[in-house]
Amino acid sequence: MPLRSAPLPRMAGHLSFMRAQTKAICDVRPGDLAVLGVPFEDTSAPYAGQSLAPRALRETSVYFGWHANPQFSHPVDIDARQDISTDGLHERLCDLGDISPGPEDAIHAALRAATRQISRNGACAVILGGSDRLSETVQSALPNCQTAQLGGTLRDARDFHIAPLPNEGGTTCTLDTSAQRAAFSGWRDGSKPLFVRFDLSVFETSLSALCDRPRLGGCDLDTVVQWFELLGQQEVSAIMLTGLNPNRPGMGVVKVGQRLMVTALLAFIYARLGFGIDHPGRLTSEENVLT
Amino acid sequence: MTAAITTFHPPLAQPGYRLFDGPLRDVADVVSDQIGVVGMPSDWTHSSRLGTRFGPEALRRATTVLQSIRPQGGSFDPDTSRHTAPTADWLVDCGDAEITAQDVDATTEAIAAMTEGLSVAGAIPLALGGDHYNSFPACLGYSRGLAKRAPNARFGYIQIDGHLDFSDRLGAWGSHNHATNARRISELPNIDVSNMVWIGITGWVDGGDLALIEEQGGRVFSASDVHEIGAAEVMRQALAHAMQGCDEFYLSIDIDAMDAGYLPGTGSIVHSGITPRQYYDMLDGLAEAPLGGLDIVEVSPPLDPSERTEFLAAEMLFRILRRFRTQPVTGI
Repeated sequence: MPLRSAPLPRMAGHLSFMRAQTKAICDVRPGDLAVLGVPFEDTSAPYAGQSLAPRALRETSVYFGWHANPQFSHPVDIDARQDISTDGLHERLCDLGDISPGPEDAIHAALRAATRQISRNGACAVILGGSDRLSETVQSALPNCQTAQLGGTLRDARDFHIAPLPNEGGTTCTLDTSAQRAAFSGWRDGSKPLFVRFDLSVFETSLSALCDRPRLGGCDLDTVVQWFELLGQQEVSAIMLTGLNPNRPGMGVVKVGQRLMVTALLAFIYARLGFGIDHPGRLTSEENVLT
Repeated sequence: MTAAITTFHPPLAQPGYRLFDGPLRDVADVVSDQIGVVGMPSDWTHSSRLGTRFGPEALRRATTVLQSIRPQGGSFDPDTSRHTAPTADWLVDCGDAEITAQDVDATTEAIAAMTEGLSVAGAIPLALGGDHYNSFPACLGYSRGLAKRAPNARFGYIQIDGHLDFSDRLGAWGSHNHATNARRISELPNIDVSNMVWIGITGWVDGGDLALIEEQGGRVFSASDVHEIGAAEVMRQALAHAMQGCDEFYLSIDIDAMDAGYLPGTGSIVHSGITPRQYYDMLDGLAEAPLGGLDIVEVSPPLDPSERTEFLAAEMLFRILRRFRTQPVTGI
């Protein structure tokens, strides 16, 4: 059901992720994708501004809020020549708002509690960071999860690192997608859910521009989209976006970083919700009616 | 006896920049086969990120700067492997159209009056945006001029763009804005949708708009098509499609089909993967084609502090206008 019945300016109104419905965390249901903002930054980061990333990501996501806008018909992915069904998206995507500011310990505690509650409710948390240090807090709240990481710095050798360049330790892949997928299949333990860390640095820096930790020789958008189509078919407890700094010195008006992240994230959202492809995460028509 | 003191004063330059440092003249003074430049410094028909009203001035400055660092005499063009020399009097800048904010009809007619005058004279209107809506009044004037110059002539249309711009309406902006320009052009009397071609479209598009285009015989090449088929071949096919039964074509260059990693200074960025090289290859494919009019839109200098966007766009104009601004030199 559309959020509104009449056309409105696309960028106006209450800002939620992809114009999703807002919910209290206690109302999150199994199968939901629950968006949570973490607008905080690491004070030792090389530049200030990561705390502005959740808002920037939401602003860019509004462009893709087709399901909430009756003036559009169904979207088509023109590159793949594929119709995209947005039926049911409004029922299953919700925005919980941001973690409130406060003492650092309280922020970590609130993030940990929110992550646990979303997971307990059987939903997938989509966490918009923020500093990547906070992803360690999310990881600590999900002790049974395997962690797959796109970009960023590998901190635990047990994690799967989808990184465009070799790093020390861990399971690191090259840009050879088939080799990456084979390595991922070998690493993956299907009995455990996944926590996905998505750092902007997975992209080629010349494309992303707004990343504080540049990674020359990074991935293009298609490669990251392919990964999210695969990851979205797994059981995922949480995905956290980090590394975006919309306020890079002299680059505050350039929106390419958030556009890259949201475009890639769409592939995850659609795969997770099971639109257009047949996989275990897809709800049956009966379940759609029930939800 | 005192010697006479003479002081040489070079001719004073006209203030401000003109496109390619060309002369500033009235529309009525432009002659056949010249390029007549019309500025459209308007961005209030854009729905989100503004700044394209500074586009015409930025393009004028960038083309002038690039012109100044190119050979001023005969030279070897590495892109065509030909010796060329600059052409004289090939372009005149007619200044900006009068923009009336909040009055789309007045703005539309002001732009169209200038491009119509140029088209009637047999000149080629080159309109500088501005947001992409302004492409409609530019093409409207061209269409009217063509109808007066050659009443039975038809024109084809090629739009290089990240987006279709074929919506009938866009929310509160109604029927005349940067998402409807191609739709409005399709309604002109001397064009058919079957002669309209889009190149570089990427990401999500409205399924209804796409179906409407293709049901009427229009052709859409996605960014993936550019990568898979090749930029030059896509343009060859596009031109052939646009020119079926037509005498000339109108080209609308929305710079936003280029990947935002290269070109961030535009309102509606996309990550198409299309590189500057591919863009220029496409435009090179039109260098000898029967161009009747063109526009270049969506250059938004405030959105790109590096200024590279306006220089990438300026180079697009160098490419598409090659046969006008240079002539082959033989015997070297």
